Amino acid sequence: MKIRTLRLLAKEGTKNVYKNKLMSFASLATILATLFVLGLVLLIIVNVTTNLEAKKQDLQVKFYLRVDATRLEEEEVALFIEQSRASGVVAEYQYESREQAYENAKKDLKYEALMEGLTPENFAVGYFVTLTNPNDSDQFIARLKLFSGVDSQWITYPKQELERISGMVRVFNYVALFVIAVLMVISILLISNTIRLTVFARRKEIEIMKYVGANDWFIRFPFIIEGMLIGLLGALLSHLLTSQAYGWIKDGLNTLFNSIKISGLQLVEFGELSIRILVVNVLFGVTIGIIGSFMSVKKHLNV
Amino acid sequence: MIRFVDATKIYSNGVVGLKNVTVKIDKGEFVFIIGASGSGKSTFLKLIMHEETPTEGEVYVNGYSVHNMPKSEVPYLRRSLGIVFQDFRLLPNKTAYDNVAFAMQIVEALPREIRRQVPLALGLVGLSKKAKAYPSQLSGGEQQRVALARALVNNPAVLIADEPTGNLDPKTSMEIMELLDEINQRGTTVIVATHEKSIVDAMKKRVITLDRGELISDVKKGSYTNED
Ligand SMILES: Nc1ncnc2c1ncn2[C@@H]1O[C@H](COP(=O)(O)OP(=O)(O)OP(=O)(O)O)[C@@H](O)[C@H]1O
Ligand SMILES: [Mg+2]
Repeated sequence: MKIRTLRLLAKEGTKNVYKNKLMSFASLATILATLFVLGLVLLIIVNVTTNLEAKKQDLQVKFYLRVDATRLEEEEVALFIEQSRASGVVAEYQYESREQAYENAKKDLKYEALMEGLTPENFAVGYFVTLTNPNDSDQFIARLKLFSGVDSQWITYPKQELERISGMVRVFNYVALFVIAVLMVISILLISNTIRLTVFARRKEIEIMKYVGANDWFIRFPFIIEGMLIGLLGALLSHLLTSQAYGWIKDGLNTLFNSIKISGLQLVEFGELSIRILVVNVLFGVTIGIIGSFMSVKKHLNV
Repeated sequence: MIRFVDATKIYSNGVVGLKNVTVKIDKGEFVFIIGASGSGKSTFLKLIMHEETPTEGEVYVNGYSVHNMPKSEVPYLRRSLGIVFQDFRLLPNKTAYDNVAFAMQIVEALPREIRRQVPLALGLVGLSKKAKAYPSQLSGGEQQRVALARALVNNPAVLIADEPTGNLDPKTSMEIMELLDEINQRGTTVIVATHEKSIVDAMKKRVITLDRGELISDVKKGSYTNED
């Protein structure tokens, strides 16, 4: 098909959007509603995942050097940790010197008598390391064990906690994927049903076009443009609506969290997700529009 | 140009639409298809335009064999035909001009060609002044003229009309017939199905008569009753 024909048909499809106002409106409302639900579902997903990931970040690798570690061994470990941070494996870490450990112990122990005879030299150097990617923990711990200064019995990492959270994230992702797939199918059905009504109202036209000798693409293309435009419009409207609704929900929930003193939960700002949500909205809207048009014209092309 | 070879059409419900029809229509002819209601006139035309396919036998149209024609070729067959119906079948949301232009857009004609040919076609059917009118703003006769202009604009080899005057008064009917005759004079084969006696008698053209699907007579300069 020639470019000028495509342009002509695109124009035709655009005109049809406002010539068939009622049907366009019905399709638009359908797409808007499904994309809005989709947007909220996505936001729930993002919030849950973000909070779970944040929990993972809180998990730290804790380890101590041997009490009798030499200066050289201490420096070796210090260098390794510093390098790991430079390379990005370690996000941040806290260092506890022998003196700090001694002071902390003194503070914690109620009976000063127990501290008697102990000097900082009796305490070990400690590190509390937050990894950039919690999944690197196994590898990181394995490398730590290679240092003679590290007391390999005292490397701790809440692995079970990590696995529990990872498991939750995984299950949640499956559920989310399923919900999105269901939403997608529902919206395609809804939209193709609406467009089918449009096409049905216009099946005489399609028939006439066929008699004059139009091929299938010539007839189909304007409908597809029409579906695409409605999908796009629905996506933009849905984006506005989602951002408004999310703002209200976020404010409401934050007030609620504060009043019942839940801390550590935080809702993601819409601004951070805006582009992503917009892209998803547009992709879904346009895809739904196109598939819907395609499916509903198909039947009527067999004249 | 158009050839039916022992063509039979039996509809899926068992009704015989056409029975063992063998006939040949040459380039440049003007032919009436007549017969009582249900005699198979529309079926005859539908086989030509591939709305139906023959159950048995063969139909050849403009070099296309209609039997076993791939679906993708049907639009090309139809573009070699101009088709006119009793109920005009104009696109309701397009002006007279755009309805005619549509037939040219389908064949991807150059915009320049479209701007040249559409006014000519509308002029030929005497509707230059109504180019901007929508079908709902036109009388039946005017709508049929637009349909004629649309059927003609691509210079088809064959023009098929199924009861083109069925919805028109006698005077308008005669005018449309004169137009068809004019088109025929310019070299286009014209095939008209009708049961309007006065028209057939007045035109003195070839008349093919069908009866319960069978071709019962084929007369060169015939009249409705075939007493030539
Ligand atoms: N799609 C169809 N399915 C079943 N039977 C059909 C179909 N179309 C036509 N027929 C039957 O085939 C026979 C011939 O019909 P056709 O339409 O060709 O007649 P016609 O001569 O055009 O009649 P009219 O003058 O009333 O238009 C009729 O008996 C009709 O009922
Ligand atoms: Mg008929």
